[in-house]
This record gives sequence, C-alpha cells and structure tokens, in this order.
Amino acid sequence: MPGRGSRSAEAGAFVSFGRYAGPATLILSSLADGPKHGYALTKDIEQFADVRLAPGTLYEALSRLEGQGLIEALASDDRRRPYQLTAAGAQALRVHLADQRRVAEVGLRRLSRSWGPA
Amino acid sequence: MGRLLRWYPPSWRARYGEEFGQLLLADIAERPRSWRRAADVAANGLLARCTSAGLTSHELPPLEQVRCGVATLCCALAAFVTFGVAMLAQLAMGWQWATPRSAPAVAASVAMSIAGACLVLIALSGAVPVAWHAAVTAVRRRDGRLMRSAGLMLVSGTVLIIGTRHFQNGWPGTGGTGALHGLVPAGIAAFGWASTLSVSSFWVHPALLGTLPAAELAWMVLSPFAVLGLLAGFAGIVRRLTLPHWLLTYLSRLAMAAVVAAVPFLAGAASWVLATAPGQPGLFRPGLINGAELATMALALVVALRAAIGVRHARSAITEML
Repeated sequence: MPGRGSRSAEAGAFVSFGRYAGPATLILSSLADGPKHGYALTKDIEQFADVRLAPGTLYEALSRLEGQGLIEALASDDRRRPYQLTAAGAQALRVHLADQRRVAEVGLRRLSRSWGPA
Repeated sequence: MGRLLRWYPPSWRARYGEEFGQLLLADIAERPRSWRRAADVAANGLLARCTSAGLTSHELPPLEQVRCGVATLCCALAAFVTFGVAMLAQLAMGWQWATPRSAPAVAASVAMSIAGACLVLIALSGAVPVAWHAAVTAVRRRDGRLMRSAGLMLVSGTVLIIGTRHFQNGWPGTGGTGALHGLVPAGIAAFGWASTLSVSSFWVHPALLGTLPAAELAWMVLSPFAVLGLLAGFAGIVRRLTLPHWLLTYLSRLAMAAVVAAVPFLAGAASWVLATAPGQPGLFRPGLINGAELATMALALVVALRAAIGVRHARSAITEML
C-alpha cells in the first residue's frame, strides 16, 4: 500500500495535463486491458465512455502520456503503432481513479441525503 | 490529409506523422467532412508548434527545452528590438529637428536609448560565441543542415547590411539643427531607420506608397524577409547545434538579462505612446503605427518571458540531473 506522499506524486502525474487530463484518463483506462493503436483506442473509448476523442486531442494526450513515461509505444510492422500501459502508468491510473471514486462516493452520498435516493 | 498534417512541426511529424495519418484516414472514411476534426487538428497542431518552441507548460526533455526555449527567446527579443528600433529611429529623427515639449517623449527617448544600447550589447555578447561554435562545428562535422542555417543567416545578414547602408543615405535627419540632435549618433539612427523602413504606416495608405521611389518600396518589401531569414538561420543554428552546457547556461542568462533590459525600453515606449500630451511637433506626436509597434513589442516580451521561464525550469532540471 503506497504512503500518502507517493499517492500525491502519482496523482500529480495528471496535474500538468491541464485540459488533457480527461482524455488521458480515458486512454489509460482503455489501455488497462491491453495494447491498442490510435483507431482502436478511439473506438474502445467511444464504446465504454460514449466519448469520441478527436484525432488531434487523442495524439496530444498520447504524446504527453508517453513523455511522462505512463505509456510506451510498441514496435510494429504496421503503420499503426500500438501503445501499452507502463507500470508507472498503471499505478498513476489506479491512484487517480481511486481519488475520483472517493469524490464520486461523497457526491452521491450527499445528493442522496439532501435530495433523496435516485 | 497532408494539409492537416502540416499544422504540426516537423519534429512531431517525424515521430507521430505516420500513425497519426493512419488514424486521420480512418476518421475521414467514417466522417468525410468534419469541421470539428479540422479545427481539432489545427488547434492541437499549433499547440505542438508552441511546445516545440518551448512555450507551453507541457515541457520537452530538459536539454531540448533549453535549446528550443533559447531559440524562441532570441527570436522574440529580435522581434522586440526590430519594432523598438523603428520607434526609436522615429524619435531620434525628431530630435534632429526639434526638442519635444513633453516630458514622456524626453523620458522615453532617454530610457529607450540606454536600454536599446544594452540590448545590442547583450545580443552581440551572445551572437559571437554562438557564431564561433557554429563555424567550428560546421567545419568539423560537415553538417549540411547546420551549414544551410549558417548560409541563410549569412546571406540574410549581408542583404540586410548592404541594403540598409545603401538606403540610410536617404535618412531625413541629415543636416538637422535640433538642440539635442546628438542623443543617438546620426549614423546609428540612420542605420536603425533604414533597417526598419518596412515598419511604416504607409502600408495602409496606398496613395502615399505610390509616391515612394520603386527602389525604396522594393526595400520595404525585401527587408522583412532578410530579417526573417536572419532569425530563421539563427534559430536553426541554436536548435541543431549541440551547444556545451556552459554556453547554454551563458545564453539563457544573457537572454534573461535582455528580458530585464527590454522592460525599461517598453516602459519608455509606453509612456511616450500613451501619455504624450497633444500638440507635439511632427515626429514626437505618436500615431497609430506607434500603437501597433507598442502592442507588438509587448506581445514579443510576453513570449520571451514565457520562453525564459521554460528555459529556467529546464536548466534547474539539468542541474539536478548532473
């Protein structure tokens, strides 16, 4: 179980992403079940999140994730290069999603208390 | 698809171009016409260009960041100096014939002259070691791309100097009788005037343009390209050279000093343009072109400052690594 300090450092990996934090989370979540190339990522994200990432946004987020060492490109004979999650990327995603779940749980609990169950 | 890819800088295209092209082809097959895709690619391409110039919070690897940041900083400061020289040349010409009756114009002339001299000294202090290092490297490595950048810089610089020397003979300040006409030495003022002839309000007055001699008009069109060539050559050299760490540190410190020197220059220019009372004689009366010059200088200084901050962060990262 990582300590508080390392949690902050891992969550901080997303801080510098600015408005690309959302696309980065979607990409990492998509890569969590195995390597994918750009088009496969777009289709997978569209399917599980109902969000279609535009090509420019997808590649800006990919280049930032690669620059931070959270994903890595795999060798390919094809022109479509696949990407996979690194260990650091998996840990950063785990911490980030846990933080998001905590926020979501608090929000839902308060909503239910003040506005009644959904 | 090629048109869309051109929004991105060459270094980005070399790394991601092929796979990004495949994704674009698939996207175009699904949605043949999409203005949102075009806008998204254009916006992100421009962002990638800003990143490659060391201008975004998403930084490059430290050494690359320093190299790109220094190149951008130099280009931004050169743009600042170009428009600043045009403004100072106007004031210097005014001093040849009259003394301004407004304190902001006097203060601006003095502040801009001193800060301008500092900026030129700083530019020379940086250009000399870079030129020497580039010449030695080009000869030793026989690097074609480096030689092309050096050649572009040399040709552009030669055109700029020869053209300016030729046209400075027509400087309207010659023979002036103003009380303080030695504020900026006449030769320097004339050189500044002739090298920035293209920064002129004549462009929005076609009737006035028509009254100029054809050669002068041609120089007004050609000289900005010579300045751009000089800058592109310099930026190419800084980005392609493997400058030693001490030289990069020296250049980034010089660039910070230049940013500091540019502040009183801009403050002087702003005080003249914004605070001069009406009724000033001829050239001391600020016009729309001076407002445009001031805005451009302010923008260039903001870009320079942003690049300087990026360079500073990257230098700290390099020092930590060492």
